Amino acid sequence: MHHAFKLGDDVHNVELSRSATAYRLHLGEQRIDIDLRTGADGRAWLTLGERHVEVVIATRGDEVFVHLDGEAYALRYQHPLDRLAAAAGGNAEDRILAPMPGSIVSVAVKAGDAVSKGQTLLVMESMKMETTIAAPRDGVIAEVTYEMGQTFDRDALLIALEAQK
Amino acid sequence: MNVLTPTETEWPALRERAASWPFQAVLVANRGEIAVRVLRTVQRLGLKGIVVYHAADRGTAAVRLADEAVEITGETPVGAYLDGAQIIRVAQAAGAGAIHPGYGFLSENKGFCEAVEAAGMRFIGPTPEQIDLMGDKVRARNFVEKAGFPVAPSAIEDDDPKTFVERSRQVGAPLLIKPSAGGGGKGMRIVRDLSLLEQEIERGRSEGQRYFGDGRLYCERYIENPRHIEVQVLGDGQGGVVHVFERECSVQRRFQKIVEETPSPALDDAKRREICETAAGIARSIGYRNAGTVEFIFGQSGEFYFLEMNTRLQVEHPVTEEITGIDLVLQQLRVAAGEKLGCTQDDVKAQGHSIELRIYAEDAARGYTPTTGPILVLHPPQGEGVRWDSGVLHGGEVTSAFDPMIAKLIIRGADRAEAIARADKALKDTVLLGCKTNTAFLRRLIAHPAFIAGDVHTGFLDANPQIAAEPVLATETLQALLAAASLSTRPMRDVADAVPDMHAAMGSWRN
Repeated sequence: MHHAFKLGDDVHNVELSRSATAYRLHLGEQRIDIDLRTGADGRAWLTLGERHVEVVIATRGDEVFVHLDGEAYALRYQHPLDRLAAAAGGNAEDRILAPMPGSIVSVAVKAGDAVSKGQTLLVMESMKMETTIAAPRDGVIAEVTYEMGQTFDRDALLIALEAQK
Repeated sequence: MNVLTPTETEWPALRERAASWPFQAVLVANRGEIAVRVLRTVQRLGLKGIVVYHAADRGTAAVRLADEAVEITGETPVGAYLDGAQIIRVAQAAGAGAIHPGYGFLSENKGFCEAVEAAGMRFIGPTPEQIDLMGDKVRARNFVEKAGFPVAPSAIEDDDPKTFVERSRQVGAPLLIKPSAGGGGKGMRIVRDLSLLEQEIERGRSEGQRYFGDGRLYCERYIENPRHIEVQVLGDGQGGVVHVFERECSVQRRFQKIVEETPSPALDDAKRREICETAAGIARSIGYRNAGTVEFIFGQSGEFYFLEMNTRLQVEHPVTEEITGIDLVLQQLRVAAGEKLGCTQDDVKAQGHSIELRIYAEDAARGYTPTTGPILVLHPPQGEGVRWDSGVLHGGEVTSAFDPMIAKLIIRGADRAEAIARADKALKDTVLLGCKTNTAFLRRLIAHPAFIAGDVHTGFLDANPQIAAEPVLATETLQALLAAASLSTRPMRDVADAVPDMHAAMGSWRN
């Protein structure tokens, strides 16, 4: 079965199967025997073929955080259903996500409003700077998620547009 | 007793002295790492340490460490820490005899300082007049200039509009034209050729009019690629003032410091004495009380000018503590209790090199934008010369409610090279998972040849954006990450485990 992780802006397809002794990672045409053994204090040993590396791993929901060779990385597991929906609908433009964590300064629209491309939808504040979120296309507002004064994390859904017919 | 650097065996005597101070309980009106830092010295003196906290900070290190923690409320978390009246009420109810404001929040608020003293408590800081003078940048500059210390040559149009062009010409090139009403770099123009001066003034005026509705201007000497060098001072308000050497804080992003160190690699001994004595002189000229920092802008040819004075403990104070052995919070408390400094300049000695790296919850590659998230794993670095000042704990959460600084990593070495090497190892050993931080960026930064050579200026990171960029992952690294993630993702293991070993093994033969 195909799985995928998002790392930074890239999506990587992977498959995992059992091997005679542990697991096997499938990356494109490559097959790598892998194993993970966790010790005390969360430190773990990762085996890749002949390589052994020390890692620290933490998970939360679909996110996997890995400390490897002095650096921390975050990977996000992509659910097969979500990927299917994204591939079929291509609806990224309908969902306006927060570019960074912050709070809402003002909201200029409400559900049902018709908006045109470039029109100001809301103003957010982060790092003591105001950022204007504008409509990416002409459309109708389906949902406004936050009210003035509320805070949100990066990638939170701020405003949804009605899907285009 | 050595009052600047008491030895372990002298501390009991110091505690005895503190037992007769006019305050026996100190409330810290701050949060995060600085609240922890202040509480440590307060408690070491045998005094009671009280802290206020907003609900968003309930699980933090300061709240756990304090002898008493009192919740405060506000419309926003930041608003709670800015509510001076509420904090004073809490302090009185808890029996605090003094308030330490830390940095930021109410630390340079004249009204708060007055209200604390009016309520019969000591403000661990300067006098209200000193906050007032140094808080007004123009007044501070004029005062320092009148006292005979160097300020950047400038011409203010309002002083005499008719002669503004002529006075600007006398400032000399290169110069910077700024709208009087301005801020944020808008409407600023650099003039390198004085024959263009009048033309540029007219443009600056029209920009000022457009941005701020105010066309008045002022000019000052423009320093190309300046360094930021500041000097720690201590004053007792009773005539005693010493400097505690300089710190260089030239590595900045968005006008905010990221890396600070002492001694500055830009100074030789003569220049160091000159800039440090200038700072001490400025502090002496106002009879300064408290720890403070005099900031200078330092040009590539060694000229320096007064920028401003911060009348509080500074974020980067630990590097000074590391090379001098002086506990700056202890000195603040002594002075606030009415003690004299009780030392001369010669008693202040420094040894070795120290670097502070600010660990921020931010994504350097995305314009240093803040990140948030839970702290799922936290293993602070350890080792010789490693100090970790932090207010967050394993299991805590980084939110957008406050400043994105998570911790300060402070490194000491016999010399700069050793400090840099130790810093790299400590950054590598820092495990913090759940929230993206700038540790990998800091490692790239301190490995940069210009940083190693000590050749940086305040525009260094803007001029070298590749340091902030996310490097391309090596294939081996990517494989290891995908392997670790795959084996840590339940749905993937479940699917793999559902296929019997034998079948899986056969599957791979067929391929």
